[in-house]
Amino acid sequence: MAWLARLGAPVRGFLEFLGDQAHLVVRTLLSGLALRMDQLAVVGAQTKLQVRFTGLDALWLVSGTALLLGAVTLIQAFTQLSGLGAESYIGVLMVLIILRELGPLLTAVLVIGRSSTAIAAELGSMQLNDEVDALAAHGVNPYQYLLLPRWVGVLVSVFVLVVFFDTAALAGGFLVAHLKYGVSFGYFMDSVRQALSNRDFMATLVKVVLFSGAITFHAAHFGLRIRRSQTEIPQAVTKTVVTALLAVFLLDGFVAALFYF
Amino acid sequence: MLKTRDLALDAPDGGLLLTGLNLEVPPGGNLVLAGPSGCGKSRLLKVIAGTERPRAGAVAIGGVAIWPGKGVFTLAGQVRVGLAFARGGLLANLSLQDNVALPLRFQGLPMAQVEARVAAALERFGLARVAGLRPHAVSECARRFANLARVLALEPALVLLDDPLGGLEARDRASALGLLEHWASDPVCTLVITAEDPSLFSSLNATHLQLSQATHVQEPS
Repeated sequence: MAWLARLGAPVRGFLEFLGDQAHLVVRTLLSGLALRMDQLAVVGAQTKLQVRFTGLDALWLVSGTALLLGAVTLIQAFTQLSGLGAESYIGVLMVLIILRELGPLLTAVLVIGRSSTAIAAELGSMQLNDEVDALAAHGVNPYQYLLLPRWVGVLVSVFVLVVFFDTAALAGGFLVAHLKYGVSFGYFMDSVRQALSNRDFMATLVKVVLFSGAITFHAAHFGLRIRRSQTEIPQAVTKTVVTALLAVFLLDGFVAALFYF
Repeated sequence: MLKTRDLALDAPDGGLLLTGLNLEVPPGGNLVLAGPSGCGKSRLLKVIAGTERPRAGAVAIGGVAIWPGKGVFTLAGQVRVGLAFARGGLLANLSLQDNVALPLRFQGLPMAQVEARVAAALERFGLARVAGLRPHAVSECARRFANLARVLALEPALVLLDDPLGGLEARDRASALGLLEHWASDPVCTLVITAEDPSLFSSLNATHLQLSQATHVQEPS
């Protein structure tokens, strides 16, 4: 029976993880709904801090990455397309590769690398320092003070970063198209506009919501599980990155299947 | 105010720390729980505060059952609890002043009242000069006092203090003891203290109970 127990342990662990994620999401949502007007200033200040750290501080990194990615994508694509005489498809390619897929996905990957690690480490450190217990004991709901601002902050930040990523990637693509192949701005944007649909905007919005939830609650799950020693913090950070990346890729596939399959 | 029945606590290694703990402290009553390091004093305070789940047994504060139940969340808006930790407990990213103010702001008190209570509590411990600094930038003693100041500003009905005098110098100890005597003599404030050395609290009119590791503990006499 020992082998059966060994077989069942990871399954049970995974189901516990899913249960805890659902618990965190539901409790945070309910505590958000129960927030009083006089608590908004405190929670709002925490949310602003999260937006600054996750969104504003990452703006240059995300924009720079996107600019390069857009330029490289267009160089590769244009080389192939011009050989086939199908330059008019550059807009379709930019939309398909950058706006639909890489924009939200790479933004999420960058936010996981920068912010979910920080959230997990910060919450873990707060657990060890009895800060979470102190908050709860003194009537400050940790779901309202710790989780809700982080979730909303990451949500706002991921949305803004995706917009900047897409804009910078298109700018990078246009720069290459214009400087190397003489494509005009009007022609480039017309091509992109024709390829874009409302469905792409909806899919991106759904991805932003799902990705930000996955990033925040994976970090919260592993951070808040830390109980005993500082050595648990790096382990929690690693687990956060690995599982959050996996979740984001799975969710990306799910949304792609939902909207485009 | 505080009632526990057949309380059993887990040790960090999963073993049994305390079992059969029955306590009953009336409103305005004072209790000193003494025991050696590692016997479960800090854990017991967290269980009473509702932030940690006991292995078994029941805890009620002010007639509100917190275990079995939702723990600290059951107390929201019903009984104000103040908990001062022996170490830690202060938010590292807030100044001492903001740490003291946070529970009051979350209660929705008017800003003027929050500021007055925070200033008075910090002044009580001579922390006004370092009020704008974060916990890592002040001494261990200042951090302990900030923990006490946060409890003082909250004006709680139940005060839980984890080894409040341990490691303090004589002068600082006298200052903290003055506040403890004030709480102990307050008829509406219930005081529960854990300490390794109960003789430090001999000036308080309190019931003393000795805790020992993995033992059956009777109701205090």
